[in-house]
Amino acid sequence: MLTVCPYFHVHQPYRVKKYRVFDIGEDTEYFNDASGTDLDNRFIVEKVAEKSYRPTNKVLKELLDKHPEFRFNLSFSGTVLDQFEAYAPDVLESFQELVATGRVEILADTYHHSLAFFYSVPEFKRQVQKHERRIKQLFGVKPRVFRNTELSYRNDLAKWCEDNGYLGIMAEGWEKYLGWRSPNYLYHPPGCSKIKVLLKNYKLSDDIAFRFGNKEWSDWPLSADTYADWIHAYHGDGQTVNLFMDYESFGEHQWEDTGIFEFLKVVPEMILRHPDTSFKTATETVTSYDAAGEYDVPDILTWADTERDLTAWIGNDIQRDAIAATYRMEESVMKTRKRDLIETWRKLQTSDHFYYMCTKWSNDGDVHAYFSPYKSPYDAYITFMNALSDLKLRVDHVVAAKEAVAAAKADQLAGEAKPPQPQLDPPPVAPPEPPTSPAAVLPQSPSLGLARTLWNRLKKIFPAALPQRKST
Amino acid sequence: MDAVGLSAFVVIVRLCAMKVLTFSWEYPPAKNGGLGVACFGLTRELLHEGVAVTLVLPKTQETRGDARVLFADTERLVRMGENADLMFGPYNQAATTVESIIGYDATGRPIYQSRTILQEAHRFAHQAAIIAQMESFDVIHAHDWTSYLAGVAAKIASGKQLVLHVHATSFDQAASDNVDPSIFKIEKEAFELADKVVTVSEYTRNIVVNKHGIDAAKVQVVHNGCDAEPVRELPPTLVELKRQGKKIVLYHGRISIQKGVDYFVRAARRVVDQDPDVIFVISGWGDMMTQVIDQVGSMGLSEHVRFAGALWEEDRDRMYQSADLFVMPSVSEPFGLVPLEALQHGTASVISKQSGVAEVLTHALKVDFWDVDEMANQILSALRYPVIRQQMVAEGRLQMLGMSWQIAARKIKQLYQNLLQYATS
Repeated sequence: MLTVCPYFHVHQPYRVKKYRVFDIGEDTEYFNDASGTDLDNRFIVEKVAEKSYRPTNKVLKELLDKHPEFRFNLSFSGTVLDQFEAYAPDVLESFQELVATGRVEILADTYHHSLAFFYSVPEFKRQVQKHERRIKQLFGVKPRVFRNTELSYRNDLAKWCEDNGYLGIMAEGWEKYLGWRSPNYLYHPPGCSKIKVLLKNYKLSDDIAFRFGNKEWSDWPLSADTYADWIHAYHGDGQTVNLFMDYESFGEHQWEDTGIFEFLKVVPEMILRHPDTSFKTATETVTSYDAAGEYDVPDILTWADTERDLTAWIGNDIQRDAIAATYRMEESVMKTRKRDLIETWRKLQTSDHFYYMCTKWSNDGDVHAYFSPYKSPYDAYITFMNALSDLKLRVDHVVAAKEAVAAAKADQLAGEAKPPQPQLDPPPVAPPEPPTSPAAVLPQSPSLGLARTLWNRLKKIFPAALPQRKST
Repeated sequence: MDAVGLSAFVVIVRLCAMKVLTFSWEYPPAKNGGLGVACFGLTRELLHEGVAVTLVLPKTQETRGDARVLFADTERLVRMGENADLMFGPYNQAATTVESIIGYDATGRPIYQSRTILQEAHRFAHQAAIIAQMESFDVIHAHDWTSYLAGVAAKIASGKQLVLHVHATSFDQAASDNVDPSIFKIEKEAFELADKVVTVSEYTRNIVVNKHGIDAAKVQVVHNGCDAEPVRELPPTLVELKRQGKKIVLYHGRISIQKGVDYFVRAARRVVDQDPDVIFVISGWGDMMTQVIDQVGSMGLSEHVRFAGALWEEDRDRMYQSADLFVMPSVSEPFGLVPLEALQHGTASVISKQSGVAEVLTHALKVDFWDVDEMANQILSALRYPVIRQQMVAEGRLQMLGMSWQIAARKIKQLYQNLLQYATS
């Protein structure tokens, strides 16, 4: 028995618009570019919907209708779901229809497509939970198998997933850790007893995702027939062929004119033609097979580049500076308890922002090696840091105001707790001050004491923002 | 030996002892701009590559390096050939009827000044024809418009192939299409007569192809190199300002319309409005000096802009090392060596997109010279986030290792070889 477990990853970030130093403190909207360029999030989602999401979902639905054995997995970032809801609700509906067949599994993920696990596990956990709630709300299902941003993986992530009830986790099937072994079996992470790792067969996955339309490739043009033969060749040496790729491979990375849709339309049939070959979802896969051995990954492993690491995201100084500055804000952001500030901070955690700052290949002058809506990695960094600076300003204001309230409350409590002093003489009567502020015109009362203290503290923090006393 | 074998043999002999007669207007150690630096770097590396360079300069001067040098003001014993005067026919008229614009005054009126450069260029050409008859060489290489006539004259006198090397054009100098007609005429006619035109950037190649109308197949880009030598750490300058916590933004170069210093001053206004702790240092001298000083005064920037005069050698290097950021705001810059010099001294740059160096240096902030807001944004951001400067310096220095004069010289040598092969076949 050989089964195929395809998984398509759907994601769009919220790109930060051109945001200059002069905008700090002036403009709180970072993601609302409407220029019809690659910084315009609505424009991109509409464009990719037309080129990829709509035609691909149509093909996938037909395949599910035609082949009862056909199954696959999807993973969504929360940021793409939010953008579908806002900009292309029909696309969201078409995904819901796919999931409603019961043969399309949704994987667990971080809501904001972030690298939070490697910077703050508590924040990571909050994002995973938020993602789970969103998936439940939109699709009515609960993910059982986890995949992390850019397929990033490490032993401790697997342990975290096991501790949090996941049955499986996905990772790159990389020789460095596999050795002579095949990626076409399940493995178990060291120190784990239940969870199993599904390994990407990167050769067969990348044949579609990267090489399909490449005319320089020796196997171009790739027919569904040939591809199915390559899969069938694993009979007798493997249980599951895991094909992991970006959903946007269909129609966006590989354009329609490469024949990618024709390929997708027939490839399941070609695969099923061989007896004893079928499809399984991720959960079905991990519950059907036993682990063949241990997959020990002490350092971060991803599906990116020939290095299979995070250097495209955190490989240079500006990337590390930007991501460190982002996570340094965690404590104060969470302290605000303001939904919009927390959400904006999380949108800035999306890994794409750091990817745009990559300078890995820029020395070769190959600036197009990496896709980016910014003119250079440095433009990306400046834009990001300016937006982050503005957010920090807003967060600091809210935190300072909250602290002022807390301190005022403390003062008030301390005042009330004081034992009443015996009044020997009536207090000296001060000449009545001219009414100067709304608080001052009201009659004195104990409950007003708190308001006054607060008012005075706020004045110290925001001398310019509050209404000034008018001199009479 | 058959005919093919013989001609191949001739080619090999010629290549083994390739001799080049090079004309340049400037050469170190005389204090001048990028032209002299580029000629020196290229000549030095061509000598290393086994090309025998004979350098011809217009006036007697001290020279650096190992090249054999001739000076065109030395009295020649050989008289000019009888028809020598005819060689310069096309340019005599230009010299007598056209004045040259060397800059613009504060009100924007062109400053017509001495035709001495034009006259000098013609005198240089006369001498070049004589030298070309005396010397033995395989190919002629002339740098920039002041030497183009000399190159053309040498070509006519010797019948050898001519390479013209474009370090700048009249369009760069004018910073517009309002070019000096006499220089344009020399450029265009010389380009047409040349066997090959070398430009220091794609940016300049586009000008030569589109504005001078030269056949694109004849124009080849050889980017300038840069000497990545270990830099000596010098005692800092502007110490008092630094002690006060001021950040230093440096301009270094000629103060002329081409260099965009007026845009730099406008960006300074925008920067200082946001951050009063920034000091702009303008190092250099030029025909736009008075205008820029007036502009600084009228924009209320006197406290924030310092004029350092023209700095050379160690003074310049100290300034590079002490600055927090360098800006090259050129309106039109064929190459632009200064950001690379700044980089060597550990200072990152904001550079104009209208420059050749922007094609080869990835690790700099790039801006359209007219986009004053964006220039100010980049300056403020670079000062605000020090990591971006660190990274541009660290990675930029690595990138500079790939921009050596040796690489440029090898391309030039290959170009000579191609020319000579065509000549013998």
